[in-house]
Amino acid sequence: MNIGVPRGLLYSKYHVFAETFLEEIGAKIVVSPATNKLILDEGVRYCVDDACLPMKVFHGHVSWLKDRCDAMLVPRFIGIKEKEYICPMFCGSIEMVSNNIPQLPCLIDTPICSTQNYKLSQWAKKTGSVLTKDENKIMAALDKALQRHGNSKTGFNDEGYPLKIGLIGHAYNIYDKFINMDLKKKLNGLGIGIITSEYINGADIADEAGKLFKKPFWTFAQEYYGAAVCIIKTKKADGIIYLSSFSCGIDSVVIELIKSETGDFPFMVLKLDEHTGEAGFDTRIEAFADMLKRRCGIGHNLS
Amino acid sequence: MVITFPNMGNVALAMQTLCQSLKIPYVLPGRNNKATLQIGSYYSPEEICLPFKLVLGNFIQSIEKGADTLLITGSCGPCRFGEYCELLMKILSKLGYNNLDFIVADLSSEIGIKEFMRRMSRISAASPISRSDKIKALYTAFKVVELCDKIDAMAYHLAGYETNKGECKQVLNEYKTKAFECKNPEEMMRLLDFYKKYFENISTNNNKDPLKISIIGEIFTIIEPFSNFYIEEKLMDYGVSTRRTLSPSWWVKNLILKPIKMDSKDINRAAGEYMPYAVGGHGRECVGEAVLAKGYGMDGAIQIYPLGCMPEVIAKSILPAIQRDKDFPIMTLIVDEVAGEAGYITRVEAFLDMLQSKKRHLKVQEPLVSRPVTVRCLGNHN
Repeated sequence: MNIGVPRGLLYSKYHVFAETFLEEIGAKIVVSPATNKLILDEGVRYCVDDACLPMKVFHGHVSWLKDRCDAMLVPRFIGIKEKEYICPMFCGSIEMVSNNIPQLPCLIDTPICSTQNYKLSQWAKKTGSVLTKDENKIMAALDKALQRHGNSKTGFNDEGYPLKIGLIGHAYNIYDKFINMDLKKKLNGLGIGIITSEYINGADIADEAGKLFKKPFWTFAQEYYGAAVCIIKTKKADGIIYLSSFSCGIDSVVIELIKSETGDFPFMVLKLDEHTGEAGFDTRIEAFADMLKRRCGIGHNLS
Repeated sequence: MVITFPNMGNVALAMQTLCQSLKIPYVLPGRNNKATLQIGSYYSPEEICLPFKLVLGNFIQSIEKGADTLLITGSCGPCRFGEYCELLMKILSKLGYNNLDFIVADLSSEIGIKEFMRRMSRISAASPISRSDKIKALYTAFKVVELCDKIDAMAYHLAGYETNKGECKQVLNEYKTKAFECKNPEEMMRLLDFYKKYFENISTNNNKDPLKISIIGEIFTIIEPFSNFYIEEKLMDYGVSTRRTLSPSWWVKNLILKPIKMDSKDINRAAGEYMPYAVGGHGRECVGEAVLAKGYGMDGAIQIYPLGCMPEVIAKSILPAIQRDKDFPIMTLIVDEVAGEAGYITRVEAFLDMLQSKKRHLKVQEPLVSRPVTVRCLGNHN
């Protein structure tokens, strides 16, 4: 049985887990290719116009997969920590996809609420029941998937560049080279290394987020806010770029919270949407790089 | 302590009554207007939703009038509304308003009953009246908002049946203006009772068969008329009868019943087929109401939400399916601080025209094309 896995949204964070699990229970996996123009166009065509760019891209991936698999894993992430959420869009992603795109194969849409072990095993049992009746096999697959997931490491921490910036933002913006126009390469080319929130100490992040009047109830908002504030306070990097997508509800709050802590620390917000022009994007990055260089006294060749 | 609160439809009237009976000094937020929106959107993050901009505008205007304690309700996700308090604190302190006191009424189930009581005791400590009177005051305030919602609902419904054109709208505005001038709870209750009776006895023509429209969507933008360009009043001008389930009193009741899972069961059951899991905000209610509306005898529904509202975007994806399955027209209107009123009205008029011809078509039971079509002018030419 071919099971489609769309390379969108949290794929970059959880693909090891999902792929291992599905493979172990005997599925053949079809993963959609890295985002390209065709996928983006398909996504924009099917998705409601008010949705954010990552959601549109996700629609594109699902649309690419729909004729190429027998069932599709469209995870419904409710939360990954107790009393915390990801984003309302994640709770309703299935409804969006299934109502916007016609002629979909069967969707595996059991909600994932990995706050407690038993909830995760419930998810595994339901998902696995599509392929196998053997519960032991499913549980073994889950254990293996969790173990591999624990060993996998995402994130960047470049060394050996004269400058370093913190690149903060949702995983689906940072790791999708097509929609962010390979920002990492651009920055590296300008002599700037990047560090992402995965390389900031988790305890420090939680500590900073805890200092707010109300700890944000979005897991990733906590991570990004905490990471940004840690970078500002410990001067782990020379500046921060926040990579956000247009009409992201979570970013609209997080960016404002970070801004109130920046002081005179260099901070820039890059917005992505399906119309983002590369030239304007480059100009902004170069200007930011120039500003950082002047600030840190590197390369006074401004003549 | 001078308390203030956001202006959100009839909530302001209830809060006014509450503060009056608790004998706490308060600043009443004026009716929302262009200036409120301008101030609010000037200082707000660019991409935050419209309700935040209005709330911020309200608060800045009230602080200028002398308020120093801001009361705001909270929630704990997943929609942005829960983060309002944090953002307001940061933005207002950046603007130099440093001596402000925030009272955030989060759900007691989220922050613990102890913390909830501690926060609420800051209000009650400022009130000189006895404990039993305080509970009575709370009850009266709820009664006021319930009555207001009831009167509003009657007015919006009867607008389609009234014999004297424009009477409902005129009386509705009259009572709203008078209510804001009330000096004490007794006066308010008398006034509301009077107008309730007035609407009960208003002269109507029950032979009329007006268009009936359900207003669904994000709660703030449908109960605060300024944010939706006074759509319900505009529909009254067109002789359309409207219905809206979401109201401040519904919200309070829903909140109380939520812990025992008795909250709006019919809506949730109806939504279940299309949206089995809650998505935050009132996305599920929106879907549920769209499903139920036809059963209430509605001809169509209008969904209203602020730009970028995450739960409503999901609901919007589902509405076409309901439209198809139930043969029930639904239109979506998105509001933000730059929405132009004229384009907005054109869309509403076009929708009404469409509903009207659909209705006529259904009545005659023969193809529309074979009859000479007389387009009823829906403009306000009386």
